[in-house]
Amino acid sequence: MAVTQNRITNTTATDPLAERSVEPAKRRRGGATGTRFTFVLGAATIASMALLVLFGLFLSPADITQGESVRILYIHVGTVWVAYVAFGVTAIASALFLWKRTTSLTWDRIAGASAEVGVLFMALTLFAGSIWGRLSWGQFWVWDARVTTTAFLFITYVGYLAVRGLGGSHQQRGRRSAVVALLAVLEIPLVHFSVKLWRGLHQEASVAGTTKVQLENLMLFSLFLALIAFTLLYVWLVMHRQRVLAMQDALDDKGLDYALAARRAESSTAATTSATTTAATGGTV
Amino acid sequence: MEDIGFILSTYIATFVGSVALAWYYLRRGKRLAEQLPPEDMPWI
Amino acid sequence: MFRVARYIAAKDLRIELRSRVVVNQVLPFAAIVMVMFAFALNTDAIVSRVAPGLIWLATMFSLLILVQRSFAIESADGATDALKAAGVDPAGIFLGKAFALAVQLLVLEILLLMPAIVLYRARVQWDSVVLLVTTFLAATCGLALVGTLYGGLAAGVRGRETLLPLLLLPVVAPVLIGATRATEAAFHTGGAVVADGWSWLGLLAVFAALFGVGGTLAFGPLIED
Repeated sequence: MAVTQNRITNTTATDPLAERSVEPAKRRRGGATGTRFTFVLGAATIASMALLVLFGLFLSPADITQGESVRILYIHVGTVWVAYVAFGVTAIASALFLWKRTTSLTWDRIAGASAEVGVLFMALTLFAGSIWGRLSWGQFWVWDARVTTTAFLFITYVGYLAVRGLGGSHQQRGRRSAVVALLAVLEIPLVHFSVKLWRGLHQEASVAGTTKVQLENLMLFSLFLALIAFTLLYVWLVMHRQRVLAMQDALDDKGLDYALAARRAESSTAATTSATTTAATGGTV
Repeated sequence: MEDIGFILSTYIATFVGSVALAWYYLRRGKRLAEQLPPEDMPWI
Repeated sequence: MFRVARYIAAKDLRIELRSRVVVNQVLPFAAIVMVMFAFALNTDAIVSRVAPGLIWLATMFSLLILVQRSFAIESADGATDALKAAGVDPAGIFLGKAFALAVQLLVLEILLLMPAIVLYRARVQWDSVVLLVTTFLAATCGLALVGTLYGGLAAGVRGRETLLPLLLLPVVAPVLIGATRATEAAFHTGGAVVADGWSWLGLLAVFAALFGVGGTLAFGPLIED
């Protein structure tokens, strides 16, 4: 392997790219981020989702008090579960990134991927929740502690994603967003408690209708099915997103080098072809 | 089933949202992979 | 750490004293906001009823401007680089800037109270002055600490300042809720009793304590490059 002086970074290193042009990953069945594991995971997700639709919409009975609107709860509980898991993972991954003993950009990417998926599911939670509220309480929105904290959490993590997009080095991005994530976790009980106190003292949000759900066997099964299906979906999405982020970071770091290597490879093949043509035509061009 | 419109809309929104995000992730992955060598993708 | 804080706070306040940005620009802004609330809400009765909320809303919006100002003075003339080169303790910077911000906020709030009493016909009761003063102090501390923390995050580099409202306003929601309820108790609006106000004060104190500690710890990693 020729030892070349890399003119851009001014380091002397063996440059494996000098000898061959960059070969992109060959066409693979799993696409770019897929592996055997994610393929199996994806299949399981689709299967459990199909079962959920079957049980949720058709096979499970309507509730005694709530009627058909209980079917929304299968989706709603599934998405809110994933949303909270996602933000928990973001917080833990952020802490692991900041802690010197385990620091690695992989944790930062997992935090970011998890937050993205979490934001989607939080939005779906609020949507399904407001539809359910419309059917059960007659109102799309109510200012109680849980609902308000959920909306607050949604906005906070939208802000977190905005902070991730601020630019700068990967380390800076990681540090900034990790701090924001941990502060957000600190903030959640404060918001929850203050809204609870607010509504408790003034009794203004009297919720018309009942929130109690009588869960009989088939409904309980559908609920567990929802939890499983959405958890599988969450893991699948985060794995793929984390890999995409890893590729994006690698491209940020080495993209210029790869492009330059490709240029060099092109020019060297062009030089050899022109040399052969010169030789073939016997003399100067 | 009454209120079927409301109920279906939640299922459809969830389905559409998840599939759209998954599609976006897979497409982005493919695009990026076209520019990177295999050693930058340690999961393969 | 506290010596650094004292120097930084003195510096910030001296800059403010010489440039008078708060008095000349932010205070009129806050006053205009309060007038516009009255335009939007129309009825006298409603405006009087929500006066405490309006005072704190105007304060929150002014906080955004004050925070940006607090960090804008750092980026002028390469001051941030000088601070970093001097190896100053970031926790000290945090506490110093937060203190200066708190002083400016307090001045603003006191000056806002007077138009509020006039425009909104709020009635300050003498028996609840203690509650009122403590509320303003506790809320201001919390706001200053949180503002300095997120201000450090969003400072300077283009594209970052616009992020400050999105990050800061959700975070100060508990202060808005707590301070407004406590002030309502102090003004006796809507039948609120002074006794109610003290539980809200607890919330404000917890908020200030949490972000005091959290901010001191987090400010270092945030501003280092």
